[in-house]
Amino acid sequence: MHHSKAHIWFVWPAIILMIVILILPIFLAGGISFTNYNLGNSSFEWVGTENYEKMFSRKTYIKMIISTATYVLIVVPVSVVLGLVAAIMLNSLRFGADIYKTIFFLPVMATLLAMAIAWEFTLHPTLGIINSFLANGCGGIREFILGFHWLPWVSSEDSWYSVACANNMDFPYWLKDKKTAIWTICFIGVWQAFGFNMVLYLAGLTSIPRELYHAAEMDGAQSTWEQFKLVTWPMLGPTTLFVVTITTIRSFQVFDTIEILTKGGPAKTTYVMMYAIFEKAIQQNITSIGAAITVVFIIFIILLTFFQRYVIEKRVHY
Amino acid sequence: MLARHYIGESWKHGLLIIGALIVLIPFYMMVSMSLKSQQEIQSISGGLVGAQEIQTFPVCTKHGYTEEVCTMRPYKYNFWFAFKKAPIPRYLMNGLIVTVSIFLIQVLIALPCSYALAKLRFKGREFVFSMVLFCLLIPVHAIALPLYVMLAKAGLVDTYAALIIPWTISVFGIFLMRQFFMTVPDELIDAARMDGMGEYSIVWKVMLPVAIPALLAFAIFSVVAHWNDYFWPRIVITGNRDLFTPPLGIREFRGGIDSDEFGPMMASIVTVTIPLIVAFIVAQKRFVEGITMTGMK
Repeated sequence: MHHSKAHIWFVWPAIILMIVILILPIFLAGGISFTNYNLGNSSFEWVGTENYEKMFSRKTYIKMIISTATYVLIVVPVSVVLGLVAAIMLNSLRFGADIYKTIFFLPVMATLLAMAIAWEFTLHPTLGIINSFLANGCGGIREFILGFHWLPWVSSEDSWYSVACANNMDFPYWLKDKKTAIWTICFIGVWQAFGFNMVLYLAGLTSIPRELYHAAEMDGAQSTWEQFKLVTWPMLGPTTLFVVTITTIRSFQVFDTIEILTKGGPAKTTYVMMYAIFEKAIQQNITSIGAAITVVFIIFIILLTFFQRYVIEKRVHY
Repeated sequence: MLARHYIGESWKHGLLIIGALIVLIPFYMMVSMSLKSQQEIQSISGGLVGAQEIQTFPVCTKHGYTEEVCTMRPYKYNFWFAFKKAPIPRYLMNGLIVTVSIFLIQVLIALPCSYALAKLRFKGREFVFSMVLFCLLIPVHAIALPLYVMLAKAGLVDTYAALIIPWTISVFGIFLMRQFFMTVPDELIDAARMDGMGEYSIVWKVMLPVAIPALLAFAIFSVVAHWNDYFWPRIVITGNRDLFTPPLGIREFRGGIDSDEFGPMMASIVTVTIPLIVAFIVAQKRFVEGITMTGMK
């Protein structure tokens, strides 16, 4: 066997950087969260769990947890399901799949900040094409939609669309209205994320052996749905686990769209954790509260990954 | 049978086209606004490119340019004025400096480490590897605040160093390369040792060339992530415009819905966004591979 001290020089730089850049900050955040330290102050006092008590009692931080949870719980399932559906559809196409793939992957590549501004204008009440499209539809399209009166949400003349048309084109202000802002932000999150999930599912689908489908057919699974349940879904287990994990971690970190579009408002309905850390600690210089949020945030993420890696992993293997 | 196939197919195309249109809406908006005149933007008229009538732009004359200089077609004016208002080449340059430095340092640190983890036997190897696995759980953005405090204490806020340092260690890169090196046969390394190569030359002259496919995938992943990153630069670059990365530049152009002219603003945003999108469309396969492979292994 080979003997050399080379590994020391190979491994130590990485170890030192891991400790200084990734591990030390966690302890630093933990330490600061029990003080009243603010960046720039020379002294500080230990305040015990005061920061955490504030965090779990004040309305602002409760809203922070609610909006973060809403965002994650909407964006993860919707973008995963959309990614899966798109992948299965593209996989079964005989032509054109590459074009759709490129288009759906575009939002993953494009600078999210730029796209947030593009969405801001798209959704703008007077400049945006969404509301102008809705307004143009008040004549023809509305009649057409009302044709579907058996659907619950177009049931009658008092559906929101009819009401908005009647009230002088009073369409939602999307990002400015506290009833719609978080959903609009979620929509943009899904728009951005599902292409990534789709590509991962496409990779997962190509690794499923064709024979399995033949075998399933032999066993009487004739319909597409039965074959999906019997073969595709179980075989995609590992992909799903990975896709869910990575989308969850990314959704927890949503920031760009919030800072550009809503600044946490209106009425703190979009006040997600990363934005809270930024606003409290960087803009208002209340470092200690920011550190407490950071600690809770890290605990969330680590617990989640552990859960996904070790608990669910046992079940996804067929 | 065949007919049924086509019906099934066109139904899917219908859905996918609707999906594609929704995905493309903001791109359409962005490109269209960067080409049209202010009046056309405000009245939502003119379709994608607008009428492109030659006109004199009042904001331009207000900035002290002669009427002659300020008379041109809207698309030309938007891009011309965007470059007049902000140092866009500088922002793009900064983006390049930061992303390339980050990638090179990441490789410099990760490649030897992953080689040692995959191919050398030493005491504590398992421990180092489990440390890597643990660090994989920590997203750098999540610890941004304590990192910022550390950099501020070191007096590094508003420097290139602040933009680069937190990303110098990519545990993900170490993990990826290690998995890749595990598949390289030991004979290759033994042969190199027989030829009298030291461990250092083995890393850079034998392993590096072998690892090119994995490195390329990692490069795309790393460059895309850091070119687009907004959160970290937003925190550590507080005022110095000379250090603005493209996303910080974008934020500055925005000036809000109430800024005087939308055309030049969108033109600057298009300019900053385009390099990566063009690169993606040209080398699409590699990009998709790079970004997905980095996760799957």
